[in-house]
Amino acid sequence: MLPFSVEQLKWFVEHAGLIVAAPFLAGFLIIMGVRASKFLSMAVSVGAVAYGLVHSLAIFQALVSHAFPDPYFQQNIPWFSSSSFTLSVGVLVDNTAALMLIVVTSVSLLVQIYTHGYMREDPGYSRFYAYLSLFTGSMLGLVVSTNLFQMYGFWELVGVCSYFLIGFWWYKESAAKACMKAFVVNRIGDFGFLIGTITFFLYTKDFWGAGPVLGFVGPNGTDLASVIHKAAAAGALNDSLLCFIACLIFMGPMAKSAQFPLHVWLPDAMEGPTPISALIHAATMVAAGVYLVARAYPIWLNTDGSAGTALTVVASIGAITAFMAATIAMSQYDIKRVLAWSTCSQLGYMFVGLGVGAFTGGIFHLFNHAFFKAMLFLCSGAVIHGLHGQQDIREMGGLKKSMPIAHICFLIGTLSISGFPLFSGFFSKDEIIGAAMVHHPFIGWLMMLTAGMTAFYMFRLYFMTFTGEYRGSAHPHESSPAMTWPLLVLAVPSILTGYLGFNIANLQPALAGASPEHGLPNHFAAFIFGPNGPHFEGANVTMMGISIAFGLAGFAIAYLMYLTRTLHFNKTFAESKEGMANLIYNMSFNKWYMDDIYFGIVDRVLLPAYKNVWTFVDMVIVEGVVNGVGLVTMSIGEVLKYLQNGRGQYYALVIFAAVAGIAWISYILPTH
Amino acid sequence: MNPEPQHLLTILLLLPMLAALAISCSPETAARKLAIAFGGGMFGLSAFILSQFDVSRGADYQLVERVSWFEAPFPVQYFVGVDGMSLSLVVLTGFVTLMAILASTSIGNNRPRLYYAMLMLLTFSVLGVFLSLDLLQFFVMYELELVPMYFLIAIWGGPRRAYASLKFLIYTFFGGVLMLAGLVYMYTQMGASATFDMTSLTTMCPSLPKDVQLLACLGFFLAFIIKLPSFPVHTWLPDAHVEAPTPISMLLAGLLLKMGSYGLVRICLGFFPSFFVDYGPQIMALGAFNIVWAAMACLIQQDMKRIIALSSVSHMGFVLLGVASLSSAALSGAIFQMVSHGVISALLFFLVGAVYERTHTRQLPEIGGGLAKQMPNLFYFWMLGTMANLGLPGLSGFVAEAAVFYGSFTSPMATSVVNGHMVQGWIYFAALGVILTAGYMLWLLKKVFYGEELDKWKGHLTDATGTEKIVAYSLSFSILALGIYPLMLINYYQPVADKMADDIKTHINVTHKLDPVKKTAISLR
Repeated sequence: MLPFSVEQLKWFVEHAGLIVAAPFLAGFLIIMGVRASKFLSMAVSVGAVAYGLVHSLAIFQALVSHAFPDPYFQQNIPWFSSSSFTLSVGVLVDNTAALMLIVVTSVSLLVQIYTHGYMREDPGYSRFYAYLSLFTGSMLGLVVSTNLFQMYGFWELVGVCSYFLIGFWWYKESAAKACMKAFVVNRIGDFGFLIGTITFFLYTKDFWGAGPVLGFVGPNGTDLASVIHKAAAAGALNDSLLCFIACLIFMGPMAKSAQFPLHVWLPDAMEGPTPISALIHAATMVAAGVYLVARAYPIWLNTDGSAGTALTVVASIGAITAFMAATIAMSQYDIKRVLAWSTCSQLGYMFVGLGVGAFTGGIFHLFNHAFFKAMLFLCSGAVIHGLHGQQDIREMGGLKKSMPIAHICFLIGTLSISGFPLFSGFFSKDEIIGAAMVHHPFIGWLMMLTAGMTAFYMFRLYFMTFTGEYRGSAHPHESSPAMTWPLLVLAVPSILTGYLGFNIANLQPALAGASPEHGLPNHFAAFIFGPNGPHFEGANVTMMGISIAFGLAGFAIAYLMYLTRTLHFNKTFAESKEGMANLIYNMSFNKWYMDDIYFGIVDRVLLPAYKNVWTFVDMVIVEGVVNGVGLVTMSIGEVLKYLQNGRGQYYALVIFAAVAGIAWISYILPTH
Repeated sequence: MNPEPQHLLTILLLLPMLAALAISCSPETAARKLAIAFGGGMFGLSAFILSQFDVSRGADYQLVERVSWFEAPFPVQYFVGVDGMSLSLVVLTGFVTLMAILASTSIGNNRPRLYYAMLMLLTFSVLGVFLSLDLLQFFVMYELELVPMYFLIAIWGGPRRAYASLKFLIYTFFGGVLMLAGLVYMYTQMGASATFDMTSLTTMCPSLPKDVQLLACLGFFLAFIIKLPSFPVHTWLPDAHVEAPTPISMLLAGLLLKMGSYGLVRICLGFFPSFFVDYGPQIMALGAFNIVWAAMACLIQQDMKRIIALSSVSHMGFVLLGVASLSSAALSGAIFQMVSHGVISALLFFLVGAVYERTHTRQLPEIGGGLAKQMPNLFYFWMLGTMANLGLPGLSGFVAEAAVFYGSFTSPMATSVVNGHMVQGWIYFAALGVILTAGYMLWLLKKVFYGEELDKWKGHLTDATGTEKIVAYSLSFSILALGIYPLMLINYYQPVADKMADDIKTHINVTHKLDPVKKTAISLR
């Protein structure tokens, strides 16, 4: 624990905004001139986030030790005001936010240190640190957002940082395409987020009282749940409407957290440098969707606070994604893409957790996943770095001799993500699957199967990369200490954090045959919910057993296929030319053809059709009418110009005719 | 507080006139320096006026100055004053003009004296529009702008400048005639108390008969949406922009379009609120349509300047959407959009010009991408401009869009029984612009800067020069500042928006046209 007094701890909580401000300031400084010096850029950037980590830990300590006695701290300043309403931005620190702050700052710090090793040779070194700082600031801003509007703002900011970083090597055509795809797909989600939020605002606008508009928590019944309740009581909101709003807003998380059908950008995002894949596209930003659902959870419930259709939608989308991504990951050959698909799949697990009511399970998985997935990606970066840019696992193998540290860390990450007992992924995944079994057994079993598939593709990756004989042509070597130390540090939480969410004391009664419905509180859930949390579930030994069995099965198949090479399913599938096997393999290898469908629709159908319509309407109708008017005027002018012939008698005739005409008109018109 | 300083606005208005005279009497070589000096002076003075403005009375006209010329047969007077909204635009005018003058390096030795004199004349008329409190004077200033603009495009424009300048002239002149018709019609219908005084027209016009209001407003409305511009009378804008030289494009998009939107708020909404109560939904639909239609049009253009020009049409659609929704927040968003778009479009046109000066082509296929290699600094400014244009939070474009969306969706229009659902539908539709804008702006950025450089550019291109950096930094910082803390601008004009929204509320209550939906949720199956 940090050596701070109670007063100091309080100060830290009340100045949480500094955590957000520091990286922004660092990014700004680097852009405005510090970039000239590589070392200074790195120092400023790392310093800002290191400060953030210390500050976050102090906040955590303050909340745990109750040095800060209230359940949350909130501060808002108006950002847009009018007589109709005021939108504000501010800082909200509660237990969930405190945890996320630690996750973001710690992973970001390690990734930034790692970057020093990874990007040392790159001419864009300083620029990279500028983007990293801006990203970290935006992500932290998202974490401490007090209301949906502010979250939308930072939501877009992290998106744009991701865009910059995916397209960091702008001269690569594939990177240029990938960053644009990522941004546009995310914008589609943001569109839903935006209209969902304004619709929600329309029906609740009279009920925010003194609290921040669209705020998550607030004094005197201005928190999200109470406002929804009040609006429902006043008849402004009902369950179906709220479900509609929830589904619209959920488009945001679907895009940001790469859920079916808006997941297509994430695998392509691997075009960015590997530290980015670790920080943004694995550990932090992609978890923002999960964080949003957790934050604004009442929107996904019924108006009376019970679980409803919207949560089922969340769970179903999560389940589809988890399963789909796992099937795809089994046939990919790019080390980073396999990891990207696994991220997709694990995010699906988190949504399943939130969707089936395992609220803490979802967040717990987010927490564990951030550490082990960041480590896996950094390991893959070390591998790619050691092989001078090679990413194809068919060109790897036997790397455990030349890269022992990367090897051991990768193995730990693999064990963790596959849900092997005692590693962190095991506990959170079990919690999710257990809850899913209760509410939606089909989803539960699907997740169980997916867990087995996860073990299979992760060990496939591990065996093909680190065991056997080296198949490539580079000279693999271990990376510099700046890269290996972050790996080793991340290995610790990847092994240990699981125990935070599991109370060993629950194991005893469970083994004795007690019902798993009630148990003693565990640290993680107790911290998230506070002492008055709902109820805590005990250990479910049967479920654990089954899930371990599935995991082992996946491991065994991978072992037989890729290490001892006694099984040859993979060849049967990959080399089959027709029939079911071929179909399944191609489906998986071609990522369920989602990209082809999307690009087909946009490039072949929408754009050409639109081009024709636009040409027709704009060129023919709009221009045509206007030019037609011009033509008429000109032809009239052609006729009328004969009137101006300069002959005096002609003009006199016209004047005479006009006077006569006016006289005649005034004669026939009735007088007033 | 000290008494208000006298004649400030008159001095500001006369400054560009003086500058035009001084420049035309000076040698060709001194023209640019003189223009910069006067531009700087104008901006400084407008900033000083900003400091003299009493924010607590933001909705009142301040620093008023009035000289009557003759009263019969109709009153003609000189009458200037600013409230929060016009002040914001006056400062914007000072700023963008200075930037445009600085950016005029490409004029070089091509008759600089005439050029800068014309530019100053243009500024004079734009300032006149924003400062006028007399409708006749407003009209004269509004029309005066045509003359310098026509010559600026016709002399210093691109290859098709004759066509473009004539098209610009005809469209705008057509609008001017309609406005004159509306103005005269309104005046003749007011009977004994007839006046051109804009401060009293605000209270007098709404008491005219309904059909008179409709006809008079229609004249003004058509004139302003031509200037805005809005579908279907927007086609002059892309042509004019493509042919105009870079600094003139900056002024055209940054300032001249704002004359249309300013008139829309000040005159159409201020004088004839019942027009908006009756036809608000249709106008909102037009705005939403503009946003999406123009954004879609951008997706298939090949000329980068045309893309930015059409994106102006799209963004000015937010003004229509916000103004017609009659809510204080959305109106405030619309006014913010005027200022924000003024700065963003100036930056974007400037950047397009900077690239064009180096590559001598604006066609995307000919540029072929990869320019980031030799112009890293311009690339970063482009990124910022792109992000501002697509409404990234933290930059000014987002504030306006968010305020318009939040405001219009909770406005009396969107909650009314009669057309509420239609209006909500149109706002959803307008929100599609969020996706489309990202699509075309990023596509443009990719086509220009990302990817491999073409062989023909190797070693031929240079990065931003010192002057260019000054302009780009100034514009970028204002975009950033407005985006991070928008209240520093909103505080000035918010009373105006609030007051207008309140005035309209009384009209709504009288007509019962927009009774809100009973507090029962519509159930969705």
